[in-house]
Amino acid sequence: MKTVIIQGLSQAYSNLVHMFAEFLPRLLVMLVIVVVGLVVAYGLKTILRAVLHVTRLDRLSEEAGASRFLRMAALPSMTELLSRSLFWVTWSGFILIGISVLGVAGLQEQISRLFLLLPAIFVAILILFLGLVTANFLSRAALLAAVNAGYPSPKLLSWSIRFVIWALAVSMALEQVGVARQTVIAAFSIIFGAFMFGLAIAFGLGGKELAREFLERNLGEKKAEKYEEPQPL
Amino acid sequence: MAEESFLADDFLRQLMSVGEVDLLVGIPSHNNASTIGQTLQTVEESLRQNFVRERVAILNMDGGSGDETRQIFERRSERREPSHKGLTSLRTIHRISCEYDRSPSQGLAVRDIVAAADLLRARACAVISPATPNLTPSWVANLLRPVYREGLDFVAPLYERSRFQGLLARDLLYPMSLAIFGNKIRELYSDEWGFSGRLASQCLEQDVWHEEAIRARPEAWMAIKATGAGLKCGQYFLGQKTASPGAPGPDIVEAIRQTVGNFFWCMETNQSIWNGRSTSQPIVTFGPDHELSSDGVPPSQEKTFDLFRSGVNELEPILASILAKDTHAQIKAISLTDRAKFHFAGELWVKTLYEFAASYHHAVLNRDHLVQALVPLYRGRLYSFLQEHANSSPDEMEAQSEILCQEFERQKPYLLERWTAKRE
Repeated sequence: MKTVIIQGLSQAYSNLVHMFAEFLPRLLVMLVIVVVGLVVAYGLKTILRAVLHVTRLDRLSEEAGASRFLRMAALPSMTELLSRSLFWVTWSGFILIGISVLGVAGLQEQISRLFLLLPAIFVAILILFLGLVTANFLSRAALLAAVNAGYPSPKLLSWSIRFVIWALAVSMALEQVGVARQTVIAAFSIIFGAFMFGLAIAFGLGGKELAREFLERNLGEKKAEKYEEPQPL
Repeated sequence: MAEESFLADDFLRQLMSVGEVDLLVGIPSHNNASTIGQTLQTVEESLRQNFVRERVAILNMDGGSGDETRQIFERRSERREPSHKGLTSLRTIHRISCEYDRSPSQGLAVRDIVAAADLLRARACAVISPATPNLTPSWVANLLRPVYREGLDFVAPLYERSRFQGLLARDLLYPMSLAIFGNKIRELYSDEWGFSGRLASQCLEQDVWHEEAIRARPEAWMAIKATGAGLKCGQYFLGQKTASPGAPGPDIVEAIRQTVGNFFWCMETNQSIWNGRSTSQPIVTFGPDHELSSDGVPPSQEKTFDLFRSGVNELEPILASILAKDTHAQIKAISLTDRAKFHFAGELWVKTLYEFAASYHHAVLNRDHLVQALVPLYRGRLYSFLQEHANSSPDEMEAQSEILCQEFERQKPYLLERWTAKRE
């Protein structure tokens, strides 16, 4: 009995030693990969930051109004945000490679799934950014045009445009990463449809007079009396 | 030559067949079939009567007219009117017509006229608008003569104005250009002007013709270039200009986008000209240097005030990003005052404009949007001006204009401070 126990313990010990002997080099390799990844990610971040400084992306982002949103969300400048994103995406990639080297059963599949998702996540972030910039630019253009033309409720118009573009961008981004595709499409269709239907009802029923005025002014043969300002030039 | 890359072959062939000329008159057109015939006749009459021995060419640059503008220009045969008395032109007047683009752009039309002037070695050129209904032969001659005979390089027109017309020019563009560029040209933005072959060559060398600011309004940039290069500028009093009933000109929003946007762009791209400047450059003025007629009643401006008030309210976040806190607060405060007591002071107006110019420089938001955000504030100033001067005489209004010019000059250090300040 005693011999069996000693043999078992000895076997377990020898297995443990064997496991450690196998695991330690892998751990070392993983650490090396992580450190190399850190250096590579830092290098890429520095290069991207320099390139973006040269291309004056911050000015473009400021002009498009995206920087204001970043400030509101207490986020850094666009250049900083993109370079930091690249740093984390790159380093995360190296960390995942490192973890896969450990050969822990069950993790491999999850890691390869994550790897497949990485480009999609990057594209989704890009879609969200473009959506943010476009929504901001178009909503501001609509606001200015409506205010200067003296149309009623310019903010409502501006926010409607912003909302529609945001909804479109968010649904496209979610679809890109494959999060509940059918649900996202259905949700977007419902929200967009409801929004348009609401607008139609609001404009057609709630703003009957306004609608009539608008149509008469723009499409009717008998134009409404035009407000005339003195010739500026 | 630079122009070889953008001039059409057919246009070049036509120019080469003309050879060299002394005078060139350019007529940019777009759907002007109803007026181009009369314009051409007036120009020809002017050239025949006033420039008898000179070699001349008339150039029609068309922006893709859908009507018969070009055909009318080309069909109209040169003929001596029986009413002409005395000595008339001894030389052939060449007529050239070309389509510069399929969509209209004053800048591209002027670029081709400038290129043609350079190729034909014209000494004096004039740009004439076919939309001007009361163009007379003397207008054409008065724009060409100071360049051809007096050696000027840029000649702007001066018009007789009704008291309540051209307020954007009188309350913003003229005093600001005087303070910034030292440019005493009153009509910096006009449909007619004259320039020398020398200025044409200098302008042609600049790679700016596709800039949005130049595509719509190239004339002020040419004047500023002339001032910056130390060339001689002048202005000629032409008389009263009436608005064409068919084409009443751009509305306030479009006019501000075209002119103020262009002016800010000129400030941005010509900093070296105005940064260290402390004196204004003298210019030659032929005739009175201003003429306000006392006719005309102030238009009803209740809606103007409403648009100002709603604009200040609706555009609050945009204005906050453009203006200094103090200026924005003052504008918000006056927008809440009673309509009858409303007053947009000259000092506040100048400060506002300088902050807009500095924000344009720092690109705090899309530059076209920034210029559009000025429209409600201009309406406030317009309302205040019309209220204040409803019963003023032309002399009183002119005196007020002088005070405004001094205010622009006084606050120029503030502009420089905002311009050079680092963005918050």
